[in-house]
Amino acid sequence: MKTISKITIGLVAVAMLMVDCAAEVAKSPASKGASKTITEESLGLRKTDIYTEDSTIADKTEYGTAQATTSTKIKRAFQDAPPMIPHDTTGMLPIKTEDNRCISCHMPEVAGSMGATPIPVSHFTDFRPKGKIVDGKFELPTDVMKNEVAIKQEDKLQNARFNCSACHTPQSKGNLVVENTFEPVFTSKDGANKSSWAGSKMTEALDTVGDESFVTQEDVANKNSPAGTLGDSGH
Amino acid sequence: MSLSRREFLKSSAAASAAAAIGMSVPAELEAAANEAEGDWRWDKAACRFCGTGCGIMMATKGGKIVAVKGDPAAPVNRGLNCIKGYFNAKIMYGADRLTQPLLRVGADGKFDKKGKFAPISWQRAFDEMEINIKKALKHGGPESVGIFASGQYTIMEGYAAQKMMKAGFRSNAIDPNARHCMASAVVGFYQTFGVDEPSGCYDDIELTDTIVSWGSNMAEMHPILWSRVTDRKLSDPDRVKVISIQTYTHRTSDLADIEIIFSPNTDVALWNYIAREIVMRDEAEGIIDWDFVKKHMIFATGPVNIGYGMRREGEKSLKDGKYSAKEMEIISKEMKTIVSNKEGPALEPYGYKAGDTMNHQPGTLGHWEISFEDYKKSLEPYTLEYTAAIVKGDPDENMESFKEKLQALADLYIEKGRKVVSFWTMGMNQHTRGTWVNTLSYNVHFLLNKQAIPGSGAFSLTGQPSACGTAREVGTFCHRLPADMMVANPAHRKIAEHKWMVPEGTINPIGVQHIMKIHRDIEDGLIKFAWVNVCNPYQDSASATHWIKAAREMDNFIVTSDGYPGISAKVSDLILPSAMIYEKWGAYGNAERRTQHWRQQVIPVGDAMSDTWQWVELSKRFTVKDVWGEWAPSGPRKEKLPSVIEQAKAMGYNEETTMFEILFANDIAKSYKLDQNDPIQKGYDNSEGYGDSRNVVGSDGKVFKGYGFFIQKYLFEEYAAFTRGHGHDLAPFDMYHKVRGLKWPVVDGKETQWRFNVKYDPYAAKAAKGTDNSHAFYGTIAKALKFGDLKGMDKATEQKSLANKAKIFARPYMDPPEMPDAEYDIWLSTGRVLEHWHSGTMTMRVPELYRAVPEALCYMNPKDAEAKNLKQGGLCWVESRRGRVKARVETRGRNRPPRGLVFVPWFDEKVFINKVCLDATCPMSKQTDFKKCAVKVYKA
Repeated sequence: MKTISKITIGLVAVAMLMVDCAAEVAKSPASKGASKTITEESLGLRKTDIYTEDSTIADKTEYGTAQATTSTKIKRAFQDAPPMIPHDTTGMLPIKTEDNRCISCHMPEVAGSMGATPIPVSHFTDFRPKGKIVDGKFELPTDVMKNEVAIKQEDKLQNARFNCSACHTPQSKGNLVVENTFEPVFTSKDGANKSSWAGSKMTEALDTVGDESFVTQEDVANKNSPAGTLGDSGH
Repeated sequence: MSLSRREFLKSSAAASAAAAIGMSVPAELEAAANEAEGDWRWDKAACRFCGTGCGIMMATKGGKIVAVKGDPAAPVNRGLNCIKGYFNAKIMYGADRLTQPLLRVGADGKFDKKGKFAPISWQRAFDEMEINIKKALKHGGPESVGIFASGQYTIMEGYAAQKMMKAGFRSNAIDPNARHCMASAVVGFYQTFGVDEPSGCYDDIELTDTIVSWGSNMAEMHPILWSRVTDRKLSDPDRVKVISIQTYTHRTSDLADIEIIFSPNTDVALWNYIAREIVMRDEAEGIIDWDFVKKHMIFATGPVNIGYGMRREGEKSLKDGKYSAKEMEIISKEMKTIVSNKEGPALEPYGYKAGDTMNHQPGTLGHWEISFEDYKKSLEPYTLEYTAAIVKGDPDENMESFKEKLQALADLYIEKGRKVVSFWTMGMNQHTRGTWVNTLSYNVHFLLNKQAIPGSGAFSLTGQPSACGTAREVGTFCHRLPADMMVANPAHRKIAEHKWMVPEGTINPIGVQHIMKIHRDIEDGLIKFAWVNVCNPYQDSASATHWIKAAREMDNFIVTSDGYPGISAKVSDLILPSAMIYEKWGAYGNAERRTQHWRQQVIPVGDAMSDTWQWVELSKRFTVKDVWGEWAPSGPRKEKLPSVIEQAKAMGYNEETTMFEILFANDIAKSYKLDQNDPIQKGYDNSEGYGDSRNVVGSDGKVFKGYGFFIQKYLFEEYAAFTRGHGHDLAPFDMYHKVRGLKWPVVDGKETQWRFNVKYDPYAAKAAKGTDNSHAFYGTIAKALKFGDLKGMDKATEQKSLANKAKIFARPYMDPPEMPDAEYDIWLSTGRVLEHWHSGTMTMRVPELYRAVPEALCYMNPKDAEAKNLKQGGLCWVESRRGRVKARVETRGRNRPPRGLVFVPWFDEKVFINKVCLDATCPMSKQTDFKKCAVKVYKA
């Protein structure tokens, strides 16, 4: 069944491209003849011809104008995806060292009363191990060969997450040029509204090769790789 | 003591262990794993986008990607991604994914260049490619077959393409879009260090006191590196200084202590000003680390009359009148310029003064050693007075305070004990003197002994996810072979031929068809077959109208492989549906020399197959007799390319042996087994290895059942062989699947943080053995020079070896070929925005990213808008000598140009700004300058 649904999606995509003879789409592509064709203009994002610019105009940006306190929250695109900004940001950007207006409403202690989405625990977690000079040489406390993770919970918003606009942006209204068939799956009822990335979840499933996720001497030796050396013709 | 995640999860003493090293453990840590995610499969992968090279964790369920999160174990980004990084989850699911090959056909179903597209089988697609490649070979030999390659190829794809092109077709006309983004950095590395790629690593950010961003909007283009800079800055705001040196104000300046707005191209003067401060004040203040400089440096220069990488007189399309009189106003400068008042003082030490005619020769990499006195002489013009006068880019800024900022900048570099990192990307690379300005950055760091040490160094950031890993390291450039080897070097060709099991003499020694040359060769009628791989050259190349016309109106055959129908697909004759990033096994290499692998997460859509598969299938169509015979001189190659068929027979091949059998399915390749007991492969699809449940009908009209061996591992390991043992060492394939990437050289299973530094780099330690030297610049390219002065090389001098030394170059400020004048009165700069990647083919199909920035805006100064009678949000024309596009005016957005400059990003197909841009390049690196040309802006 999985295969069928994939083919269907593929055909739907092709069907959207067809302008000359949509009815013939479902036939095998191997079939002879050219009864079904697709124009150059129908392909892609720009539906006007690409040889002149007179009739081509970009899609207008129309961000929401609702104020922060009255705007309707935008559902997360998938579990723990960064939420988008539903409100007018005029006067709130750019974010500067001494002036981050996002924080004033979204810090957890005030967010509730403001009706704002609270900054989640991940943003108060520092994962960056701090290196130091040992015997004149820089060393990190975590071993890259073991995929070690450092975790530190703090009360303050992490400096690395100070640039809110690196992940969160306002959304323009209007139609998409192309739909997207991604389907999110949420493991909890409020997953579309709330971050679930906290606690043990943060470090789950990091051993991606199961019990053999650690580099062994055998890996380093790379003995069973006949292509992996130049032999005596090195350069 | 360190704390592993495993201990965290499994040890009941986790809390006390954590306490012992000063970490606090969240209370929830003890909670049981979330059962609901039980049927999700999480795996690590690399981000698809920029050269930062972040790690992501990707969840699949039921054969679909369902989520992406930051990977806390990934050293680059430690649990955080930018908006594009998170939305990797959705990039493969745009509704108009290409699912079948599409060919332009006429009413009879046959190929027709003027026809519309019709779906065809893979078999027919390869038939058409075979016919047209053979036609091209007959027309002009290997030089007539060209590939638009990519810094977004996986390493395996780039290697497969490189091998088939150079060993199979004997064509060097394969050049990546990375030419447009990194070539000046590369030539800068070769000229300075004798070997490619940065000495430092991202840990420099946490270790430094000073971050200087040169013409780079890191906040938008490398957001995660910027988050590390932000972290560093905010953690010690008084000590840590951030300096933003830009042609217009943008987000990177929002965090800066000092912002310097410079006039386009004058960064060359600014670097020389800093060097002048160092050199001229040295006697009084003892600034230069002479011990370091004497042991490790020599001084050098090269010719200055090297043109601007545009077309030269005599070229066919110029003779044929394909360029308008307006265009010729600029192109004529390729041959001759009059030295301007602005560049006059800078050029005086080189023998030119304002008003002189400079006759330009084609760009050359040649250079020679000079004395320190001559170097000093080259710096004399860059007084604060002269520098500030030509550099100041905001006409509304006060000159005196601007001068103070330049002085403060120099003082920060010079300050004893202050660590400094200089970052740049496109601003310094996309530059008609890109190679020069790259080398100038190292000068300043070298003189101060602030290079290749923790926390200090000039650090070239990369644009694309595998510009380093694939384009540069694999060598998918016209002049390169893997691991810094060159097609022009007979010894290097021999090494590659031996490894590839092809006859000596197979590889074509002439490799000059770089990416702009490929476009120009198509326009001149030399190249008759071109294939676009993982890039979008018909949207991303300057002077775009020329290349589109050449593709559509001339007798040639253009093929584009892509996930989506972008501009390049639309102008092609044949479109092939490619598997996208997480639909195949792959690896990328980032800007800090970190190689990262991932596994195939899902099965591709429709009949899409990977670019590796497409290359390997194509190789089945060509035999020894098709490609290894004699080829007459063609294009840039003035000698015949001899037949190697007899040698091939002596090696056990015959005339009918296919390139597939020789290059991709030889006995060594087949020894890499598919094995579901291998922990790396267990449970993962391999569409090339096994085929897959779609039962795609392949190139022979039969269901593709897989190659039956682990082709991706074979390709990676064979490529890695070139890197091992000479300073480029890549780790074994399996190791990469167990770690979050490693920075090469990986020696004895250990990565290298700071190259050329004897404390960290085993190759430097080896080269410096027996001395007390702190560094060894052991690169081998151009490490024997003749001697001369600023005006030329003395041919009579002996070549002197410079083993283990690097070079400090004298390079003057020069004007770019096109600057604002009375008619085209304003600078145009182009670039990216945070939310979109390159030409937008992926990100414009992600609803959140599209809605974030649905259009490319024309960012301009409100005063310019007012003077030109333009309204915020209103439409304007942006017009150059080459073409015009419409865009909406933005006077209060994230980019805030000074008067006299507009910025228009290039992601938007509907604001086709590359029709406006000029295809001038750095004449040494051949990288296009997308950052400056002259336009007029008026109401639409």
